Amino acid sequence: MPINGRDVLRRAVTGQWKQSAAGALLAAGHQTGEALVPVMVGVVIDEAISPGDGGALLLWIAALAVVFAGLSSSYRFSFRAAERASEQAAHRLRIELTERVLEPRGGAETGRLPGELVAVATSDAKRVGAVNVAMAAAVAALAGLLAGGIALLRVSLPLGLLVLLGIPPLLMLAHLLGKPLERRSGAEQERAARASGVAADLIAGLRVLKGIGAENAAVARYRRTSRDALAATLRAARAQAWHDGGMLVLTGLFIAVVALVGGRLAAQGDITVGQLVAAVGLAQFLLSPLSILAWANGEFAQGRASAARIASVLSSPPAVTGGQATPSRPVRGAIALREVSYGALRAVSFEVAPGELLGVVTRDAAVAHALLRVLGRTADPDAGVVELDGAPLTGLDPAELRRAIVVAEHDADLFEGTLLDNITAAIPVTGTPATGTPSASAPPETPAPETAMVAAGADEVAGALPYGLLTPLTERGLSLSGGQRQRVALARALAADPPVLVLHDPTTAVDAATEARIADGVRAARQGRTTIMVVTSPALLAAADRVVFVDGGGPPACGTHAELVEGHETYRATVLT
Amino acid sequence: MATSEERELLPTANAAQTWAAVRELAHPHRLTALGGFAVLVAATAIGLLTAPVLGHIIDLVSRSSPAAAITEPVTWLAAIAVGHGVATAIGVSLIAKLGEGMLATLRERFVDRALRLPLDQLERAGSGDLTSRVTGDVSVITNAVRDALPALARSVLTIGLTLVGLAVLDWRFLLVALLAAPIQIHTLRWYAGRAVPLYAAQRVAVGAQQQQLLGTVGGASTVRAFGLGDEHVGLVATRSSAAVDLVLRGARLVTRFYARLNLAEFVGLSAVLVTGFLLVRSGGVSIGTAGAAALYFHSLFTPINIALGLVDDAQAAGAGLARLVGVVGAAAEPAPALASGAAAAVGVRGVGYSYRSGHPVLREVDLDLAAKERVALVGASGAGKTTLAKLIAGIHPPDSGSITVDGPARSVALVTQEVHVFAGPLAEDLRLARPEASDGELAEALDRVGALGWARALPDGLATVVGDGGHRLTAAQAQQLALARLVLADPPVVVLDEATAEAGSAGARALEASAAAAIEGRTALVVAHRLTQAASADHVVLLDQGRVAETGTHDELVRAGGRYATLWAAWSGHRAP
Repeated sequence: MPINGRDVLRRAVTGQWKQSAAGALLAAGHQTGEALVPVMVGVVIDEAISPGDGGALLLWIAALAVVFAGLSSSYRFSFRAAERASEQAAHRLRIELTERVLEPRGGAETGRLPGELVAVATSDAKRVGAVNVAMAAAVAALAGLLAGGIALLRVSLPLGLLVLLGIPPLLMLAHLLGKPLERRSGAEQERAARASGVAADLIAGLRVLKGIGAENAAVARYRRTSRDALAATLRAARAQAWHDGGMLVLTGLFIAVVALVGGRLAAQGDITVGQLVAAVGLAQFLLSPLSILAWANGEFAQGRASAARIASVLSSPPAVTGGQATPSRPVRGAIALREVSYGALRAVSFEVAPGELLGVVTRDAAVAHALLRVLGRTADPDAGVVELDGAPLTGLDPAELRRAIVVAEHDADLFEGTLLDNITAAIPVTGTPATGTPSASAPPETPAPETAMVAAGADEVAGALPYGLLTPLTERGLSLSGGQRQRVALARALAADPPVLVLHDPTTAVDAATEARIADGVRAARQGRTTIMVVTSPALLAAADRVVFVDGGGPPACGTHAELVEGHETYRATVLT
Repeated sequence: MATSEERELLPTANAAQTWAAVRELAHPHRLTALGGFAVLVAATAIGLLTAPVLGHIIDLVSRSSPAAAITEPVTWLAAIAVGHGVATAIGVSLIAKLGEGMLATLRERFVDRALRLPLDQLERAGSGDLTSRVTGDVSVITNAVRDALPALARSVLTIGLTLVGLAVLDWRFLLVALLAAPIQIHTLRWYAGRAVPLYAAQRVAVGAQQQQLLGTVGGASTVRAFGLGDEHVGLVATRSSAAVDLVLRGARLVTRFYARLNLAEFVGLSAVLVTGFLLVRSGGVSIGTAGAAALYFHSLFTPINIALGLVDDAQAAGAGLARLVGVVGAAAEPAPALASGAAAAVGVRGVGYSYRSGHPVLREVDLDLAAKERVALVGASGAGKTTLAKLIAGIHPPDSGSITVDGPARSVALVTQEVHVFAGPLAEDLRLARPEASDGELAEALDRVGALGWARALPDGLATVVGDGGHRLTAAQAQQLALARLVLADPPVVVLDEATAEAGSAGARALEASAAAAIEGRTALVVAHRLTQAASADHVVLLDQGRVAETGTHDELVRAGGRYATLWAAWSGHRAP
């Protein structure tokens, strides 16, 4: 079911309708109260100050206190209700978006960078949620307009009409005055923002700069960017200043006109002095609900644009469709590729026996990448079929399938949390493990993670960190070196202990001595379970039972590492030089 | 891998140093500053004439003057409107010029100093500290200069001059208006005490939410591969709820703040009205004056709210400023440009080094690199390879022993596996290494490392915008770019620290060829984990636990049958020929 932006926007408001309605209602009370303050001042002048009536003064001051108490508390609770509605709507959208991105069938990331998706889940969700606040403000502004308008019309029909009819063209004029400014300042602010972007970028690349002694060049470049940005900012600031000045002139002239008409009416005795004061005060006040309406209109426009972006993520088509079945238990772990074509894969066939440790070597990184995608069913082959225990992967539910086949990619991410959290993350805690030995479901404390850690050389990583296994990893593990990251990721994959494990280049940043130990460790840890290593490392390939060399079309070359090194020239060149 | 406890944050300036820095920054702009403030004071004063003129109109009306008498004061109102607008525009423009000019100078100095900070100091502080200063603090100050400061200046001027205006009407109006001040001061103290820690917690929570989303969304394929979807949605929900809670607590705090300010408004306004009543009754002032006083006070509501609301922005900007000034004032090492030219010999004599005393990482290391010699440094993780590389590159001085480079002052370049593509056109990135390089030289450098093909194939060739926000280069391309920069910098001595590690196995071979071409003709120390790099070096040095364990040519070491021979056998696969 495709979702459009209007649905997203509607749900953001209807989902929070109680808070939203309460916010709008109370905000209306607040604006009305604000409109009453200048009216009350006028009344005090007329009823108490002009006639010198002390009793009336006390009475009307008390009334003023009631107005203030009302406007203050309705502001207080309206803002809270609207803010709650806004934040909760944004929160729900954030969760919904995360669920969509992580959905086993994938597809949400296609054509989008992670940063973009995060921006959708934060800024866009916030903008859509904020429509609740804008709506409350708009309702309140309408109420304020109504209250102020009625009060003015009651003071004097011509004066009221003058103000009410005069304000819209005034705001229109202001809008026109602002239009070109908005266009120009948008572009200029962008150039200004670039200065801080460039600074952050240079700092991020600081070590690289220092490594090649490019500090002076970088400083010179930054100074140029900064001066450029300064000129742009100053142009924008000047334009803004003259725009604001222009607005002051417009409103000042408007007040003068109101004073002229009101003053003449008062001089003719049509209205009282207090009413004149109230009219001038109201003329000033009414500008604010109207500008709130203009602001709310802008918020709605932005909310609509954000809602459309959210809807497009939520309704992005899945990367793989179809397949509901669960792999039959216990999973034996036989894998077969029959004439599989996908991306750089051209009609590739090979089989992996249950429990085998197979090395797969490709000359072209794109072939390896395509192979990993069809094995993990993040994509379905264009032609041919991939089978697990004789069942085509396309018939299996992706989430269920990935309990049976885990593809550990070369650039797999680590997550926030301790080293131990990362390693034990994928150990099935509850339910039957997919291997089908029911009661053997291992809680994370059992030796399984330790074995995996030793096999992957991650125990050494822990040993080198200040708090060992309990060291928190920050910035997605970027606080570790490349080799350390790879060993932790490998330990996680081994600890998950799936029936079929696909490892992609797990040791490219690991030194030769450690790599040799890891090769033995992987072999021992995966004893009896199917493991496919997509690698070119001789140390890992030497540990494999059998190696398949996939090079372009045709049937792949097959044999042990030693046999292939001996007898296959291209293989030797690929692996050993 | 320093933890926060061990970190020595970069310096922060104290209040006196910060003020001194601000005065120093303002010094070249002092005429603009004087002019700007003078014009702004004039503008505010002109604007405040509106109320007495309105009061005059009220008096005319209450003295039953003819309607025509209104016209003259109204023309005054119109003139005031124009004068106010124009003077404000000029004043604000001048203040913007002052603020932006100072800001530009400050950020340029900050970047200059930051890029020249000694690397070991930076490593002790962690890169996050500097990055948060250049992104967070600079943007906080920028916003303050752009929005908060002008608004604050105008509000404070308006408040001050309005109070003067009240005093001119009658000093007793000023006296009673000040009754509101104790409430406002108390409210501000109450608010600041709560807002500062709350907003700090809010920023942390929002940052954590952002970080979690980046981790989860950026690592979506890993999350799917290991079936961690539910767990990650839960993590996002927890972080998002925490942020929402704090935002809502902030909303409650703000509403209570403004509610208390409403009380101050009521107290002040009533006091002015009562005073007006008493003064009019005793004949001390006219009704018009009393009306003008009430209008004055009513017009104070907005600027007071603006000014008090901006106090925490101003506080945040002050704290950020202290952190920037701290770096600007810090001692920075002079950065001579990297020397270029003929290869130079390097001698390492009895070098020892430890990060923590009692835990030596290097002991009594002797090493000689003849001019143009290519030496490979191998050994297990933790053997001290990277530390030795850093010492030779001059990042840390050795604790004992000496390192001599037989060339000009700064002749060692360092390229590590940490890659960074500088945001902007590709050609600009390369020119960081040699600013005066011609297009031909750039192409030559790219060609030498085998990168010209893909660089020309980019959408706009060498003018393609790459890096953050631009065209994304693969890890291998980014590393080739780093090597091309090295060619352009043309240093006598090069240290390559696992500069080919990050690129999967297929890419690693291509990168090795690039690296070999880049260091051709230079003295080079290559920290290698792929032993093919060692095999093709002139000389191999095996480090073990901080000592030189073996040294010789590849063939010699393999024949000797020592540790290197074991490593080589492990690396090339036990059964390989």
